[in-house]
Amino acid sequence: MNSLIKLELVRALRNRKFLFFSAIYPSVIFLLFAGRAGSSDKVDGTGLTLASFMMVSMASFGALTAVLMGNSERIAKERENGWVRQLRLTSLPGRGYVLAKTASAAVVSLPSIVIVFVVAAAFKDVRFDAWQWLALTGAIWAGSLCFAALGVAIGYLASGDAVRPITMITYFGLSILGGLWMPTTAFPHWLQEIAKWLPTHAYAALGRAIELGDAPHAGDVSLIVAYFLLFAGGAAWLYRKDTLKA
Amino acid sequence: MAGMNTDAVVTFAGVGKTYGTVKAVDDLSLELYPGQTVALLGPNGAGKSTSLDLLLGLRPADTGTVRVFGASPREAIVAGRVGAMLQSGGLMDEVTVGELVRLTCDLHPRAYPVGDVLSRAGITQIADRKVNKLSGGQEQRVRFAMATAGDSDLIVLDEPTTGMDVSARQAFWATMREQADQGRTVLFATHYLEEADAIADRVLVLHRGRLLADGTAAEIKAKAGARRVSFDLEGAIDEQAMRSLPFLTTIDVSGQTVRLQSTDADATVHALYGLGVYPRNLEVAGLGLEQAFVAITAAEDAASAPSTQTAQEAMAQ
Repeated sequence: MNSLIKLELVRALRNRKFLFFSAIYPSVIFLLFAGRAGSSDKVDGTGLTLASFMMVSMASFGALTAVLMGNSERIAKERENGWVRQLRLTSLPGRGYVLAKTASAAVVSLPSIVIVFVVAAAFKDVRFDAWQWLALTGAIWAGSLCFAALGVAIGYLASGDAVRPITMITYFGLSILGGLWMPTTAFPHWLQEIAKWLPTHAYAALGRAIELGDAPHAGDVSLIVAYFLLFAGGAAWLYRKDTLKA
Repeated sequence: MAGMNTDAVVTFAGVGKTYGTVKAVDDLSLELYPGQTVALLGPNGAGKSTSLDLLLGLRPADTGTVRVFGASPREAIVAGRVGAMLQSGGLMDEVTVGELVRLTCDLHPRAYPVGDVLSRAGITQIADRKVNKLSGGQEQRVRFAMATAGDSDLIVLDEPTTGMDVSARQAFWATMREQADQGRTVLFATHYLEEADAIADRVLVLHRGRLLADGTAAEIKAKAGARRVSFDLEGAIDEQAMRSLPFLTTIDVSGQTVRLQSTDADATVHALYGLGVYPRNLEVAGLGLEQAFVAITAAEDAASAPSTQTAQEAMAQ
């Protein structure tokens, strides 16, 4: 299976479009959003500067991009073109395909997190303790697994034609409504009530708690774990269904 | 059930597979033995691909059992005993041919060196090319390389020469014969009947999911039982009289030429002279595998016309 992970990685790193959207794009948005604000401006109700707030948002967004896009579209296309069938004629264990995809996406998502941090520290003077930087990286990276599972589920749910629009709607919907692009406090009250139940909301909250010097809140951790179980269970069920008819 | 032979490479025992109301494979029982080169023939929709899917464990059988080397298909594949090349099998894109073949070798428990696999498939020159930039024939050779990446005992090929030109096709079968000469069992589905005639030492004819004939190409031709008769007639041809000739299975009159198939060519020709005509350029010949195949499947269709209709109705739904 290691050879499949290696090849998936080689392929992801060769794909310039994918690298741009997962590694460069979040930093660009970070600079656009945080660029106008002075370093002491606070985001409503969070106690964080706009730069710190957006740094966690965009690091989470970049990791989300890498794992969600990397999995969903590829899996749907490769189910359709028969590569998944071809792999079933090898000794690779059934779940090896999905694990290799997720592992390679996780490798790509790490730099997309770190690049945003470096840009934030270099251009917007964001400063934290060493443990906070490490904890931020670990939490955002680990949390991205939830969306990797979602990507797998979408990949097994959608056909080759439908997968892009479905992924895009999910991706932008989760990003914007979950407050990765702007604080949810800017939303009307009813929308805030919905937004706080989204996995992306809990995901960004992990990082924000660390920035304030706290441990991530149990509620956010539970919510994201619950979503992970839901997505992973759904992906496993869809995978098994697909295997029976392929 | 005639008992499961433990020496058999492949055993199908009463295997059935239904999609909706269509029986893709219907009570199929057969055994393949080591060293055989077996052709699987059948018109489109005969159940060839489904049978191969069941054999390779890509789909579960609804009824009956499929064993490969005495184990489940999946176990046989994990043990590296089966190499397969499927029409429906895709390739990973955005990687090179060499990377893809290396991956397949890495995944095979009894793999050959990558360089050998590439050269045997004739793709050493295109090893650095991206998979998504290949022609149809090149793609087939990459699939072939993947099917022969290791020392498998059974090689399964679904329409392997589709997209290849004549010389590539000949080269392909020469390589395949080498594989068979090394004692491997080769099972291939094809719609090129001359390939089956020239290469297979056993031919299986599938029709509507059932095994219609099983034997050497010569036996299949004999089973069709018909011979071809053709001749020219001068003047107006009395088609009515021609159609009344005995033992006819098919007849075609075009211009001055009459071509027919008969289950008893001697009697048909005798009756022809009895009509008082003078046939010229008279030829009587055995059927090729292709015509034998058409005759066998057509006879089966005629024998079970009502069930054809249900199948078509089922398809239309």
